[in-house]
Amino acid sequence: MLLPLVVAATISVAATTTDLRDLVAAVGGDRVRVESLTDPRQDPHAREIHPRQLARLREAELLVRIGLDHEPWLARAVRTVGPPAHDLDLSRAVRLLGTETPRLRADARPHVHAFGNTHYWLDPENARPITARILEALAALRPADRPVFEANRARFLAELDARLPRWRARLAPFRGTRVVAVHDTWPYFAERFGLRIVATVEETPGVPPSPAYLGALIERMRQAGVRVVLAEPGAPAALLRRLGEAAGARAVTLAPSVGSDPEATDYLTLFEVNVARLARALGGP
Amino acid sequence: MSLGLELLGPPFLACLVLTGIHAYLGLHVLARGVIFVDLALAQVAALGMATALLAGYAPHHDATYYYALAFTAAGAAVFALTRERRGAVPQEAIIGIVYAVTAALAVLVLDRVPQGGEHIKQLLVGSILSVTVDDVGRIAGLYTLIGLVHWLGRRPLLALSLGGEVRGAALWDFAFYFTFGLVVTSSVRVAGVLLVFSYLIVPAVVGAWLADTIGRRLAIGWTVGTLVSVAGLGASYALDLPTGATIVAVFGAGLVLVAGALGVARLGARVRREGARALARVGAAAGALACLAGVALAAFPQADHWWLDAVEQLAPAVQLAFLTPYERGVVADSRAALVRAQAELARLRALQADVEWGRREMDPAMQERLRQFLVSRDEIAAGDRLVLRTLKGRARERQRWALGLPLAAAGAGGALLAWRAARRPARAAARPAPAGARAR
Repeated sequence: MLLPLVVAATISVAATTTDLRDLVAAVGGDRVRVESLTDPRQDPHAREIHPRQLARLREAELLVRIGLDHEPWLARAVRTVGPPAHDLDLSRAVRLLGTETPRLRADARPHVHAFGNTHYWLDPENARPITARILEALAALRPADRPVFEANRARFLAELDARLPRWRARLAPFRGTRVVAVHDTWPYFAERFGLRIVATVEETPGVPPSPAYLGALIERMRQAGVRVVLAEPGAPAALLRRLGEAAGARAVTLAPSVGSDPEATDYLTLFEVNVARLARALGGP
Repeated sequence: MSLGLELLGPPFLACLVLTGIHAYLGLHVLARGVIFVDLALAQVAALGMATALLAGYAPHHDATYYYALAFTAAGAAVFALTRERRGAVPQEAIIGIVYAVTAALAVLVLDRVPQGGEHIKQLLVGSILSVTVDDVGRIAGLYTLIGLVHWLGRRPLLALSLGGEVRGAALWDFAFYFTFGLVVTSSVRVAGVLLVFSYLIVPAVVGAWLADTIGRRLAIGWTVGTLVSVAGLGASYALDLPTGATIVAVFGAGLVLVAGALGVARLGARVRREGARALARVGAAAGALACLAGVALAAFPQADHWWLDAVEQLAPAVQLAFLTPYERGVVADSRAALVRAQAELARLRALQADVEWGRREMDPAMQERLRQFLVSRDEIAAGDRLVLRTLKGRARERQRWALGLPLAAAGAGGALLAWRAARRPARAAARPAPAGARAR
């Protein structure tokens, strides 16, 4: 194979999700060309890879991914086009939640995230360690551009710092409020903003709950006065309607990823949208 | 806990409505030999829904339903036109092609639709638990209308399904497939593809096994559908399982039960006719299975031998006999510890849940201690399970020769004897018969 004569000035990066794409772009600025391998409007776990995405993955100098078992399709794609030159697994950058899935449990239920919950980008504070790792990875590829990356990251974090207190203040009145989530997507978000997720409706995504489980859940929701169910776009509408009628709780659809909702256009807007919707659903301004 | 049962009210009504129309349509489908037509039409309807989503309608918008309906009508036309009475290509071939192509098209369309995969998954699994009384009322009204149409056109429709000739056959065929598609499309929205298929085929099959006339088959089908609905919903509640899949599984179990009973009845009749010799084949099969189980145990002692697990569950001595006295003591200790641990874990998990839901107060430090205690207690219980598994493995190493080989030998011997017993008198009876025939 012939090596290209001129090394491209920009770094070609493949990110597995739109959230990571935005964070890479925030650090890399115009020195990187980054694309997301998945469409946030589709199920991230059950991805069917397209030829064009394989080509992107092959071109990439750096692969940035969520890690753990968030991208089961990735192993197949990598087997097809060969391992990327540099591989950045960001699950090592953050403190993971939900890691104590008991092994060998007799009553074990199938759990999508056996090594810890993978939705860690939904804690905005995690953007700090994540962008730090991205900065290191990019600077290792283009040492000369390190000052540019550092300046970009500082600018992004300044923006985050400006908004974070506002988000917290908006959700502060609801600290400790008990909510129910449809899927196990929101523990990081809930921890950051002081919500208590006390149960999930679909323990295994895609498998409807059993009547006994649903009955017990509704009873507990009534007793505990749970008013809000956190849902994602594409959550089972009939089930949510049923839950709403029986337990008197309202479903609020939050955006789990940049682009999963038309309003969530970038990483910081994602939190603007979610914080605003949640505050309204909980009865705030 | 009564709330869980309360939740099963609307699903039970939905099941009754499904039984009513599907057991009847199933008779047609079975008679026509177009078993998979409902899967194909459901897939065509799903493609219609997917197209509606692509056009920007929400999954529960009316327009989505009409898209599905229009696609179903097109599918019905295809099936009515491609019915060859004496052709080389059976109708099932066309149905299979329609299924595969529309399923692939749905994948292509949904790839461009937000949450496309989710929608199609929900469509396939269905949400029988989430139906409301309104949903049930709507399909009940529609199905009553369709039932009326079928009652008015019962002569040509039945004649066509049973292979007769009718004037305007293509038109009646279209009427059949279109009403059928209407039912399937509406039912799938409520109950999912698998459940709809089961309600369609299983009652009809049982009816065909047990009776000859349409009326009796229908009565049997309705009975079977109702019984299975009750049993399936009950099992889903009692065993804490997803409702739709449980009902389908109960349909399967019911079919096996009926088939087993029919088999036993037939065997009983043969035994009365031919004496114990009729049992020889069953004995040969049982012997062969026993031989196979023995060989498998001897060859792969550490593999999963479910039959042996079940035997040991019923008679623990089968395992304990292969352990040393010391190992037996360890097994007893671990079992006792596991029982204690399970009770304690259940109690503490309930406490944890109560705290989580705010029914009981506990300060945060204590909550953290409880969480850590639960995790470590879980790990200890996992250790006990590991001990039991290791000792089971040791017992299996010893059972391998002492149990596996004799079982294999006994099974093989028994199978051989039974097989010979099954053949010898048959041959003895067959030989003089031609001679007798010649003499006559």
